[in-house]
Amino acid sequence: MTKGMIQLSDVQTAYEGSALPVIRGISCSINPGEFVIIGGPNGAGKTTLLETINGLLPIVSGRVVTGGIDVAKDGNSVRRRVGYVIQNFSFDPLAPFIVSDVVMMGRFGLLGYGRRPGEEDRRIAEEAMDLLGIRDLADRPIGKLSGGQQQKVLIAQSLAKQPDILLLDEPFSNLDLATRDFICGILADLTRRGCTIVMVSHAFDALPENGSIRVIVMNDGTITFNNTCSASEVEGRVRGLSGRSNA
Amino acid sequence: MLDLFIANNIICRAVEAMLFASIACSILGVIITQMNISSIGFTMAHAAFAGAAAGLFFGVDGTIAAILASLTLALLLGPLSDKARMPTDTILGILFGMTMAVAIFFIAYMQYHTTGVNTSALLFGNVISLYRSDIYALAVISILAVLFVIVFFKEITAVIFNRKIAEASGIRVRPILYAILFMIAITVALSIHIIGGLLLYVWLVTPAAIAYQFCNSVRGLFILAPAVAGTVSVTGAWIGLSYSLPVAPLIAVSFSALFVIAVIISPKRRVPKGVPQGK
Repeated sequence: MTKGMIQLSDVQTAYEGSALPVIRGISCSINPGEFVIIGGPNGAGKTTLLETINGLLPIVSGRVVTGGIDVAKDGNSVRRRVGYVIQNFSFDPLAPFIVSDVVMMGRFGLLGYGRRPGEEDRRIAEEAMDLLGIRDLADRPIGKLSGGQQQKVLIAQSLAKQPDILLLDEPFSNLDLATRDFICGILADLTRRGCTIVMVSHAFDALPENGSIRVIVMNDGTITFNNTCSASEVEGRVRGLSGRSNA
Repeated sequence: MLDLFIANNIICRAVEAMLFASIACSILGVIITQMNISSIGFTMAHAAFAGAAAGLFFGVDGTIAAILASLTLALLLGPLSDKARMPTDTILGILFGMTMAVAIFFIAYMQYHTTGVNTSALLFGNVISLYRSDIYALAVISILAVLFVIVFFKEITAVIFNRKIAEASGIRVRPILYAILFMIAITVALSIHIIGGLLLYVWLVTPAAIAYQFCNSVRGLFILAPAVAGTVSVTGAWIGLSYSLPVAPLIAVSFSALFVIAVIISPKRRVPKGVPQGK
């Protein structure tokens, strides 16, 4: 059952060249199939936490075990199995990448050097496009799509990896309300199938009121709240922190 | 290699050299332009230029000196931008200025002191006095460039698309980047005597920029760019030598003219006509 498990023990992470750690002494454990939302004001360390879980940033101290693998020892193996949707992206309208190629890139890390995607990889990539409802865009250049469509393509790319853990950084930033609800439905279905989801988001109104989702609130590189709660409660906590940090 | 088709030995060697140099340069040019690291190609070309000039000055084989200089620059680039904590573009700007100054220093010194060394080939290229070994070396590097793209096609495509997404997908980005730098270093060093230090950049950037106007896939770029580069270079070498025109500048101007035409007729830039009202 370690496949979807994430464990952080007293972790400090810093960007290359930075003197101070961005996240400081974080410890937490996320169980397989859990849906966790990370909130907090700008600069709280939310994206850094995702990149630490994914092994994209060097760990200054502590230990991160993602899917049963120590990320400091074999970050690449972790990244092959963990889906990650980045926050900031922009594509040149003339960029030579069509949607189906971009989604297929989700399979690349699993294939190894010198191996080409096969029939099975194509089928999985097509399934991911079908799930996101972007099959009709398959032959369109990604740079000519709207921000929301591009976001869906990147989510499909991560799903094409068939990940045990899915990390999403502000996945709703370019989406309208209907599409956001549609994506939320897909994510909820993934958790039911055992996929762990950790999502940085400010869209707390998307949370169910029964408080079945775990919320981690971060501020200044530390965790200030880590529990299941309702949307209004977490929104109040984050607003309070934002007010303090802006003061 | 093409002796069966081209009777004139000088034209034959020039055509072969231009063909192989343009294939290698344009393939790497696709990677350079798509990764927005054109300044790396530019600086590397000038490092080879400086190395070749220093080689001439010290009486060392120009090609070996050029290879050493561009490889040294390739090795320095990563650690230097990490340690200096400055944007890579700033580091490249400084290195470009330095390598250009070194090249000009040696060339000016040799001309001022009339050492009898002909430095014009370094600046503008020379396709007439080529050795068989030069052509074989270019053939090898162009085959290596093609093989590199075939074997690592998916990794290169992912890195070109977005380095962060590629890394998050579990692709080892750093070895791919180092391999690209190594290939550029060797290619520019081997091509510098044929194309010239001042014009080499045209071969690295313009064929890829021409192909970019027509291709909606990376695969298409890797096919069209060398096809364009090879056709223009071979035709240019043939015409240049047949009519006693400077070959490398002639081809460089042809590339630029073709680029302008490509931008004008590019289907990617065409604005779709609006649907007439009432229909």
